[in-house]
Amino acid sequence: MAARQKSLILVCALVLTACGTSVVTLARANPAGFAPQTSPSQAKRIVSLVPALTEMLFAIGAGPQVIAVSSYDEFPPEVAALPRVGALLDPDVERILALRPDLVLTYGSQGPIEDQLGRAGIRTFSYRHGGLQALLSTMAALGTATGHAAGAGRAARALQAQLDAVRDRVRERPRPKVLLVFGRQPQSLQQIYVSGGAGFLHEMLEVAGGDNIFADVRRESVQPSQETLLARAPDVVLELRAAGSLSAADLARERAVWSTLASLPAVRNGRIHLLQGDHLVVPGPRVGIATEALARALHPEAFK
Amino acid sequence: MFLTAEHISFQYGAPPGRSRVRTGEGRAFALDDVSFTVERGSLTGLLGPNGCGKTTLLKLIAGVLRPHQGTVALEGRSVADIPRRQLAQRVAVVPQETHPAFDYTVLEMVLMGRHPHLGLLQLEGPDDLRIGGEALAATGTTHLAARPYMTLSGGEKQRVVIAGALTQQPGVLLLDEPTASLDLAFQLEIAALLSRLNRDRGVTMVLATHDLNLAAALCDALVLIRDGRVLARGATRDVLTSDMVRRLYGVEADVRFHEPSGHVTVVPVRRAP
Amino acid sequence: MTVSQPAAAAIGGGIRPIRARLTATLLVFGGVAAGACLVAPLVGSTSISLSRAFDRSVPFADNVDAQIFFLARLPRVLAGALAGAALASVGVVLQALLRNPLASPYTLGVSAGSALGAMLAISFGASVAFGPLSPVPLASLAGACAAAALVYALATKPGRPMSTSVLLLAGVTLNSFFSALILFVQYMADFTETYRTIRWLMGDLDVGGVTPLLGVLPLIAAGWAMLAPLPSSLNLLSVGTDAAATRGVDVARTQRMAFIGAALTTAGAVALAGPIGFVGIVVPHLVRLMIGVDHRVVLPASALLGAAFLVGCDLISRTILAPVEVPVGIVTAMLGGPFFLWLLVRKA
Repeated sequence: MAARQKSLILVCALVLTACGTSVVTLARANPAGFAPQTSPSQAKRIVSLVPALTEMLFAIGAGPQVIAVSSYDEFPPEVAALPRVGALLDPDVERILALRPDLVLTYGSQGPIEDQLGRAGIRTFSYRHGGLQALLSTMAALGTATGHAAGAGRAARALQAQLDAVRDRVRERPRPKVLLVFGRQPQSLQQIYVSGGAGFLHEMLEVAGGDNIFADVRRESVQPSQETLLARAPDVVLELRAAGSLSAADLARERAVWSTLASLPAVRNGRIHLLQGDHLVVPGPRVGIATEALARALHPEAFK
Repeated sequence: MFLTAEHISFQYGAPPGRSRVRTGEGRAFALDDVSFTVERGSLTGLLGPNGCGKTTLLKLIAGVLRPHQGTVALEGRSVADIPRRQLAQRVAVVPQETHPAFDYTVLEMVLMGRHPHLGLLQLEGPDDLRIGGEALAATGTTHLAARPYMTLSGGEKQRVVIAGALTQQPGVLLLDEPTASLDLAFQLEIAALLSRLNRDRGVTMVLATHDLNLAAALCDALVLIRDGRVLARGATRDVLTSDMVRRLYGVEADVRFHEPSGHVTVVPVRRAP
Repeated sequence: MTVSQPAAAAIGGGIRPIRARLTATLLVFGGVAAGACLVAPLVGSTSISLSRAFDRSVPFADNVDAQIFFLARLPRVLAGALAGAALASVGVVLQALLRNPLASPYTLGVSAGSALGAMLAISFGASVAFGPLSPVPLASLAGACAAAALVYALATKPGRPMSTSVLLLAGVTLNSFFSALILFVQYMADFTETYRTIRWLMGDLDVGGVTPLLGVLPLIAAGWAMLAPLPSSLNLLSVGTDAAATRGVDVARTQRMAFIGAALTTAGAVALAGPIGFVGIVVPHLVRLMIGVDHRVVLPASALLGAAFLVGCDLISRTILAPVEVPVGIVTAMLGGPFFLWLLVRKA
C-alpha cells in the first residue's frame, strides 16, 4: 500500500481541484508581535507536507535543511531517516511545532494548519499542483525561500533540458491519439479516470509526442464512459500506476481487461501500456524522467 | 362440542412447546388452566377486567398463539393441527383496532378476507367480488367501498373490518371489544349487526368485552375470566349476577331484568369494600 | 393519496376489479419501461449510425458503431433496467414488511455491508475474481450478504415471527457501524483508494458488456422468485401481523421469504451498479400515488417504473456533461430528493 500512497497528493489535486490553474504563493506574513523572523532566504529547518515539494528541495540542494516530511514521502531515499509528521488530511501540528521549524511547506487546501503555524510565528509555503510551468516556478520560489536560488536555477534548467530533449526526439514522429489513464476499478473498465486537457500529466503527454484525446476537456481529471472511449478511439492507451502495486500476472490481467473494447485502435494494435513507478505521478523534478518514459512507450523507435 | 378449550395455559415470553412453565415474579400466566366450550351457532361472551387474558384467549382460539399446555379444538380437531389457511377459512377475527400501514380502500380491505380461499398468485374472481359485495351490504358499508379506509369514522371502520371478516365466510367469528371505541349509537348498531349475523347466517361468535350490558344483550353464554382463570361459565342469565360482578370486577352492581330491552341490565353502584 | 388521483381513475385505484387493474398496470408501466429501454440505447454522448451498428458485413471488432451500441449502451441500459427494477421492487417489499413507508433497500444494512466489501477490495487491491464478477463487485456482494445475514440472525428466533422493530433497528445500527468501519479503513488507506470508494458509492452502470449482468442475474432472479408470490400476503402484513395470521398468512415464513428475497435482490443490484439511492423509496411512493396501494399491482408496477426511472437517470448521467459522466447516484438523488420532500410536505 505504501508505494501507492505517493500518488495521494496527485489524485487529490486531479480529482478535487476542478480548475486547471495553480497558485504558488509565498507564505503569508507573520502576525505582528512575534519575535522578528529570519529573512526568507535563511530557512534552516524545513518541514515538507507535500512529497513533490520534498523532491524539489532535495533537487535544488536544500535537502540537508529538511527536518521532517509527510507520511507519504518516499523519495529521495534520504527521507527514510526523517521523522514523519502526518500528511494532507492529518498533519500532526504538535509534532511539527515540537520540531521548531522555520518553514513548513503545505498544500493549498491545508488552510487551518497554515493559520495555526502562522499564529505560532512559523512561515508556511502554500502550494497547489499545476502544470509544468508552475512546477518550474515553484522550484524557483523554493530556491528563494531556502537560500538555494542558484541550485534551484540549475535544477530548473536541467529539468527544462530533459523536457526539451524529449520534445526534440519525438518532434518528427506522427503523434498518436492517446488515452492517459491514472485510475480505475481493478479488473474492470468502470470508474475510469483519465487526464483531461489541463495539468502536468496532460503537458507531459504533449511533450512526449502524444495527442490527448480529452484535450478539449479543460480539466485535470475526466471520468469518461466506455461509449466515449469507443467513440474517441485512442491509438494508444497509457495507464500510469504507482510503483510496486501490481505483480506481473496482475499487470497482464489488467492489460487484458481492455480487450473487451476490441474496436479501439489501441487494442487492435496491442498498444496498451501499463507504466509503473511513483515518479510517473508525482509532479516533482522527476517529471523529466517520467516524460521520457511516456515518450519511450509512445515512440519506441525514436529511442533506438 | 363445536369449539372447546381444554386446560389451556399460556405465558408471554416463554418459548413455545415447553410443557412446564416456570411461574414467578413477572412471569405470571396470562392464562392458567382455562377450559370452556362453545356451542355451534351460539354467541358466547368472554367477560373480565382489563388485562385478564381475554385478548390472549381469542388469539389462542384463532391459532395466532399456541398454548403452552392444553388444546383448543374445533369440531374435535386441535387448531394447532389445522393448517393456517384452512383455519382461516373457518375462523375469522375482528381485532379491537386495525391500523393498516398503507391507505387501502374499503373494498381492498374487505376483499383481503378472500385470502385464505385463493391459491398462490390467484386473483379475486367474480365469486369473490360477489361475496365481498354481500359482506359490504350486510354491514351497511356498500356506499363506502371506494373510500380510503383511513378516512372512515370509528364505527365505519369497525363495520368494514367485520365485513372483511365475513368475506372469509367463517363458521366462527372472534371479536375483540368490537364496540370499545364507539359511541352509543354505533354500539347499538354493531350489536344489532352481530345479532343479525348470528341469527341469519348461523355464525358462531365469541365476543371478548368488558361491556356487561352488551354481553347481556347479545350473548347466550358467558365465560368469566379473572387473572387468567375461569371464574364462572354458563348461560348468560345464570352467570350474570350481582355476586359474580362483584367477584369479577370488585364492584357492587344492581343487576336486574329490564323490560323494554328484553335482557338483563347491569348498573354499577360503587366499588366493593 | 389513492383514488382521487387522475391516474388512479385511469387504472381504477382500489375499486376496479384487480384483474383489470393488473392488466392496465402491466400495459401502461410495461409500455413506459419498454419505451425507456428502446429509446435509451439510441441516445448517448456520441452520435452513431444504427444501420452501421447492425451491419453484419463489417466484423464486430472493427465496427465502432456496433461496439458502442452493443458494448457500451445496450448493457448499460439493461443494467439500469435490472438494477432499477430490483431496487424499486425491494423498496415495495420492505416498506410492507417493516410497515414503514420510509424503508428502503438499504434499511437492512445491505448498502453499508456492500460498501465495506467494496472498500476492502479497493484498499487491499484484491485480485480475486469469480466467473463474471470482477473483484470489487464480488467483494460488495459478499459484504451485502454478510450484513443481511447478521441482521437476519439478530431479528429472528426460531419458530417465531420476526421482530420488525428489531429488524429495522438492527439494520439502521449496522449501517452506522459499517459506515464507521468504512471511515476507519478509508482513514488508514490513502486518498486514491478513499476517493475510489466514494466514487463507488455514487453508483455506476457503465458495465461494459453483458458479462457483469449475467453474473448478478441469478441472484436477482432468485430474489424475485422469492418475492413474486408474496404481494397478497404483504397486503395483509401491512395491515398487521395478527390480521395476516388470522387470514391464513404464515407470517414467519412470509417474513423470511421477504427478507431473504429482498437481501438477494439488493445484493445483486448493488454488486452490479453500486448502492444507487432513492430509486427504492421514490418509485414505490410514486406508484402508490398513481395507482393505489394494493401490492399485487404496486410490486410489478414499481419494478417496471424503477427500470424506466433508472434508465432515464442514467441517460441524463451520461449525456448532460458529456464526455464527462455525472455519477448516476447523484442524478437519482438530485431528482429523487426534492421529489420525495415534495411528497412528504404534500402528505403532511
